[in-house]
Amino acid sequence: MKKKEQEKLQHHIEAHELKKKKIPKGKHLLEVKDLKMYFHTQDGIVKAVDGVSYTLDKDETLGVVGESGSGKSVTAMTIMGLIEMPPGQIEGGDVLYRGKSLLSMTEKEMQGIRGNNIAMIFQDPMTALNPVYTIGRQLGEGLRVHMGYSRKQALARAEELLGMVGIPNAEQRVKDYPHQFSGGMRQRAMIAMALACDPDILIADEPTTALDVTIQAQIIELMQEMQDKNHNAIIMITHDLGVVADIADKIMVMYAGRPVEFGTADEIFYNPIHPYTWGLMRSIPEQATEEKKPLTPISGNPPSLVNVPKGCSFSPRCPYATARCKEEEPPVYKTESGHYSRCFFSGDKAFVEKNSPRTTRDVATGTRKKERKPQAALDDTTARAVQALKESQAATEASNTKQTKRG
Amino acid sequence: MANTTKEQPLLQVKHLTKEFPVESGVFGSRFAKHVSAVDDVSFNIYPRKTFGLVGESGCGKSTTGRCIMRLLRPTKGEVIFDGQDVAQLKKKELKAVRRNMQYIFQDPYASLNPRMTIGEIISEPMVIHNEGGSRAERIESVKKLLDVVGLNPEHINRYPHEFSGGQRQRIGIARAFALSPKLIICDEPVSALDVSIQAQVLNLLDGLQEAFGTAYLFIAHDLSVVQHISDEVAVMYLGNLMEYSDWRSLYAEPYHPYTQALLSAVPVPNPDIQKTRERIILAGDPPSPINPPKGCRFHTRCPIATEECKKERPPMKEVEAGHFCACWHAKPFPIEGSSVEL
Ligand SMILES: Nc1ncnc2c1ncn2[C@@H]1O[C@H](COP(=O)(O)OP(=O)(O)OP(=O)(O)O)[C@@H](O)[C@H]1O
Ligand SMILES: Nc1ncnc2c1ncn2[C@@H]1O[C@H](COP(=O)(O)OP(=O)(O)OP(=O)(O)O)[C@@H](O)[C@H]1O
Ligand code: SF4
Ligand code: SF4
Ligand SMILES: [Mg+2]
Ligand SMILES: [Mg+2]
Repeated sequence: MKKKEQEKLQHHIEAHELKKKKIPKGKHLLEVKDLKMYFHTQDGIVKAVDGVSYTLDKDETLGVVGESGSGKSVTAMTIMGLIEMPPGQIEGGDVLYRGKSLLSMTEKEMQGIRGNNIAMIFQDPMTALNPVYTIGRQLGEGLRVHMGYSRKQALARAEELLGMVGIPNAEQRVKDYPHQFSGGMRQRAMIAMALACDPDILIADEPTTALDVTIQAQIIELMQEMQDKNHNAIIMITHDLGVVADIADKIMVMYAGRPVEFGTADEIFYNPIHPYTWGLMRSIPEQATEEKKPLTPISGNPPSLVNVPKGCSFSPRCPYATARCKEEEPPVYKTESGHYSRCFFSGDKAFVEKNSPRTTRDVATGTRKKERKPQAALDDTTARAVQALKESQAATEASNTKQTKRG
Repeated sequence: MANTTKEQPLLQVKHLTKEFPVESGVFGSRFAKHVSAVDDVSFNIYPRKTFGLVGESGCGKSTTGRCIMRLLRPTKGEVIFDGQDVAQLKKKELKAVRRNMQYIFQDPYASLNPRMTIGEIISEPMVIHNEGGSRAERIESVKKLLDVVGLNPEHINRYPHEFSGGQRQRIGIARAFALSPKLIICDEPVSALDVSIQAQVLNLLDGLQEAFGTAYLFIAHDLSVVQHISDEVAVMYLGNLMEYSDWRSLYAEPYHPYTQALLSAVPVPNPDIQKTRERIILAGDPPSPINPPKGCRFHTRCPIATEECKKERPPMKEVEAGHFCACWHAKPFPIEGSSVEL
């Protein structure tokens, strides 16, 4: 290999090595520490992300919920280093991936990380897929860049990947252009593309919002199966609490650029302690089959991020707001388990007891292992996917060793 | 349908069919093809009731709504509203019918004219139909309507871009109610809204129905939303109705495999239920309506399809009093506590 090309690959090789390294003791796969990202616009400073913190380990799924404009996507894009600066600017905090700061990496270094270590699926696959290239070529792109595959190898692997995500006739379909795919197929192609390099972290930004329930169910199932095999972490951004209930181990509830509540899925669903989380839950139509209960919406409108309300940002819409809430910012209340909330009254057991929605655990639980029965209709696909995945992992491994030797 | 209702239906849709021509060149064939968007659909809507229409994207929900409103001319079938067949009316005669039928659109951004003030937008139906009295009286009614839908009456001279998505949807609702019509076709009125705002708008629609006695055709793809708002629910797939009944029976005891799959795929905001319940996950995507499958249109994805299903289209049959289902192998499938028991 020519020297120049080798240099070009250097960052990708480093990124590969980082993926294989042990995570330093006391560190996490991903640690977001008090991250702040503001946009400097004509209208003023948009505090899109204003103090987001969490940790994520292998095999874990973090669900991120919240209203439109609460900073869910910007948080993810900041981690990926995809925010244009300016107008964006990091105002504080850090993002550590396997103990290394992503924010202090150069764009070159980030190119090695993106797609290879951390991959992202976007809400609208049409904007992420290039309409003038075939699906096969786009699927292979990452493999050629990150792993030095030849055009032919990449195409063969693209076929495999399409088969793996349940697209029939893969050897034909790789030649198709994105517009020849249905919405569900495009989203599956996106997942295939995101998983091509076996990333540590998969960030999915509303991957199913534009899809129908039946296709949505297929996609979620697919992501979970892939996680069972690859042990990657998932960050699932959505406004659908149902989707989060399906897939998340931890949940972050965002409001006006901040997590207002964070906890395990059990804590958020069965013991929520922030009034915004309560409001969100009361807004969802219940799937009653006997009698319909009225909805209790949150009154008012989401706040402007240029003029975030004084004190608690939820105070203009909060039914429990006091004079103090409108003046002072509530501190973070944190329990021993790490469940935290930004509300003056989260630690007040009587208050929480009295005002939180009644959440019933209809099903007795002990262990909450992810034991999914294979679905009849999916059996074929699953078997195919497992097979394809095994082969692909072997191939990835082989290519990695080759890479390292060459490098 | 609705054997509890002795009342005359407000709207009767009979064998409604809508085909769109497809330009043959695009598909490389000399023979004219068509999109079978709606095919032989029949149902009734009763006064003051909400009829929910659910189904996947592209299954023909909006086309059905547009044909009823005669924004589209049906290829075949009847749309009897208030005793008249809307499908056969002339342009001039339509105006009178449309006074009592209004449409609320999905996209609160695209559906309001950006150059009109919200006062002008809301009073437009009064102007078109020359109702509502003098200008001053119209302004008074618009202010009242703004108040009813939860907007500040003083904002009457503002423009749509000054409002949020949820507020714009309220403007669209206020306009639809301007002449207190008998029927409003709500085409995905909350799909573009945040959950918290969605709940506000759903409650508003509920309250207005009570106050004005309006009937709704409520189109949506979100099964929980439809369940919440509807008295009766119909499930549509690829231009055909698959099943319809009162909401309780449809959600508690669906007979059609497609309804069963749909219901089992709805994510429930409760991890315990969500992680333990059985689900039917349908393989593949819905086929193209340009060349829909023969026989039962669902047979290509149906987990229990037989040879018979591929040959002949199942008729709509009453499987229980007031519960209709079009399937050769219809059987009840109790969904208890939202979990499908196989
Ligand atoms: N390039 C930009 N310039 C200025 N403001 C921006 C920019 N990108 C995003 N924002 C603002 O940052 C805020 C957070 O946006 P973000 O896209 O993260 O919201 P979100 O929670 O993902 O919402 P949604 O659910 O609608 O996707 C919004 O108020 C948005 O208008
Ligand atoms: N003017 C038109 N010309 C040709 N085909 C059309 C036209 N309008 C709709 N169609 C087709 O008819 C079918 C039904 O469309 P329709 O808009 O009624 O679906 P829908 O159920 O409302 O979907 P969505 O949930 O996406 O709004 C689709 O395949 C659509 O592409
Ligand atoms: S701090 Fe006050 S305003 Fe904020 S959520 Fe808690 S009670 Fe409501
Ligand atoms: S008629 Fe046959 S293919 Fe159609 S839904 Fe019933 S069983 Fe399935
Ligand atoms: Mg977003
Ligand atoms: Mg539609």
